[in-house]
Amino acid sequence: MEEGDPVSPLSGRDAYRAELTSLAGVDPSILCLEADLGGKDHPFAAAYPARFRNVGIAEGAMIDMAAALAVAGFRPFVSTFATFAAMRAAESLKLSLGYLGAPVTVVAPYAGVTGGWFGTTHHCLEDLAVVGALPGIAIAAPYGEQETRAVIREQARGDRPAYVRLGRNGAFDSLPWDGDTVPPVVWQGPARSGDRCLVSAGEYGTELCVAAVAAEPGVPHAHLCWLDEPHLYQAAAELAGFRELVVVEDHRGWGGAASALARILPATSIRSVAPSGWPAHGGSAAEVAAELGLDLPAVLRALALPHPLPHAA
Amino acid sequence: MYRTLNSHVPGAGPGAPPLCATGPVLDSAHLTVLAERARRARELVVDMAATPTGCHLGGGLSVLDILIAGLDRAGRDHTELVLSKGHAAAALYAALHVSGLLAENPAPRYGRAGEPYTGHPGPKVPGVRFPTGSLGHGVPYAVGWALACRLGGRTGLGIAVTGDGELQEGLVWESLQVAAAHRIGNFVLVVDANGGQNDGYVADISPLPGLAERFAAFGYDVVELDGHDLGALRRVLAPARTTATRPLAVVARTVKGKGVPAVEGRAAAHYVTITPARARQWKKAIR
Repeated sequence: MEEGDPVSPLSGRDAYRAELTSLAGVDPSILCLEADLGGKDHPFAAAYPARFRNVGIAEGAMIDMAAALAVAGFRPFVSTFATFAAMRAAESLKLSLGYLGAPVTVVAPYAGVTGGWFGTTHHCLEDLAVVGALPGIAIAAPYGEQETRAVIREQARGDRPAYVRLGRNGAFDSLPWDGDTVPPVVWQGPARSGDRCLVSAGEYGTELCVAAVAAEPGVPHAHLCWLDEPHLYQAAAELAGFRELVVVEDHRGWGGAASALARILPATSIRSVAPSGWPAHGGSAAEVAAELGLDLPAVLRALALPHPLPHAA
Repeated sequence: MYRTLNSHVPGAGPGAPPLCATGPVLDSAHLTVLAERARRARELVVDMAATPTGCHLGGGLSVLDILIAGLDRAGRDHTELVLSKGHAAAALYAALHVSGLLAENPAPRYGRAGEPYTGHPGPKVPGVRFPTGSLGHGVPYAVGWALACRLGGRTGLGIAVTGDGELQEGLVWESLQVAAAHRIGNFVLVVDANGGQNDGYVADISPLPGLAERFAAFGYDVVELDGHDLGALRRVLAPARTTATRPLAVVARTVKGKGVPAVEGRAAAHYVTITPARARQWKKAIR
């Protein structure tokens, strides 16, 4: 590798910026908007300054403006931290992406507690509950560079609104899948049957499940990149054969993937491994998550619990 | 009444010539057309006050002339008018209908099950692109539309019509800041300054002293005018502002309930439900 080459794999947000910049070279309708959290050396700004706007610290205005740009025929991608997109600008998501259905892609890094020592104001353990309650918005939580790039490519091709949930600086190789687009379930390895299946949602939830499979080889692991209701129904169809799902996610148990799957699969036992309480202390992302009860030992404990009763006849 | 804080505002000033290409004579004829549209629209708004749901009558009648002039302007190029004070939906539906942008008469359908004419407007209504009513959102929609015109090389304004009470929302100022910072000079804010809001008078609840000066301090061209003067509204909205680098703020001084003597100038006219018999009386008195 030459000095100056990008490190591979890229973090989710660097993969987003790189992929969008590449796509903008062939699609002049693509716009990139930031709310002052895109960094000083944004590659899109360097390559296409006329189509890049740092609107300043104005998240709600950015999303509504992007909706108007989309209605006028552009394909805007906007980005700010997850909590500022999903919480501060929640009403803009509801009206502009949900009700209006404007094809805006909101890219939201710093989801979960990936901000580590940044503190509670910068964490977001509630975005899936908020955005998931808004019909018509696709939700993706890609794991690794390849998945992130694929999601961004799919959004650039389509005309649907989407919320793309990313971490901070974590850089991973994605789990492999077949095809151009990320399917509803990405399986880790060949194990796809048995009594119990690990299900991961979110970048850190998936990282933990990959580690759990390394500790207990042979455990099926279904990674869910897409977390909106229509995609979860598709994923549930593949998961319905298991007696129990152990759902690991860097999101609150209420309103996340576990509670959605419990509603979709009432005959399946759902165990939720999720953070609880408020992240009030410093530390790395992993340390903050562990303080909230989300770590590898918690996942392995859930896997070690007695098996549930068989399916009712 | 006509005041500018910026002498270079194109089309500004009471003595300014008409800016439409058709010239003074036809412009005068067109003003007569607009005045008749406004009168018919006021009748429709009164009709909607006589539906089982009633409607936001006072603010609907105050903003009506702004809507008539703004929709007339929008038909000339890619200009988009966004009614940010969405509670004046009845006025918007009426204005769209009399302007030929909405074929069916919305009055008998207003507020009814299965009909798109809700108390706050949305994109299911022909002629309406954006959902408004939760106050403030229409401003960034119009800013985004204006930016889209600039980026796409199209001529057009993004016009947001707000109330003066609505200016208490933070999203308004957040968006005004963005438009000024990005020099989106084809963005136009029109404030329907009727002095009222849901629970009383703006002056009592959260006053707006030096409003025109506030906009000027934000980097806006500013015009203050009589919001019921169709000619003044038409003049100030006429320029395409294709090279303008400062957005335009128009403080339109209006009267709540304008044109219907029974409610004109009354804060209690904010939301009104009347009988069909009373509606007939009120329509006869429209001026």
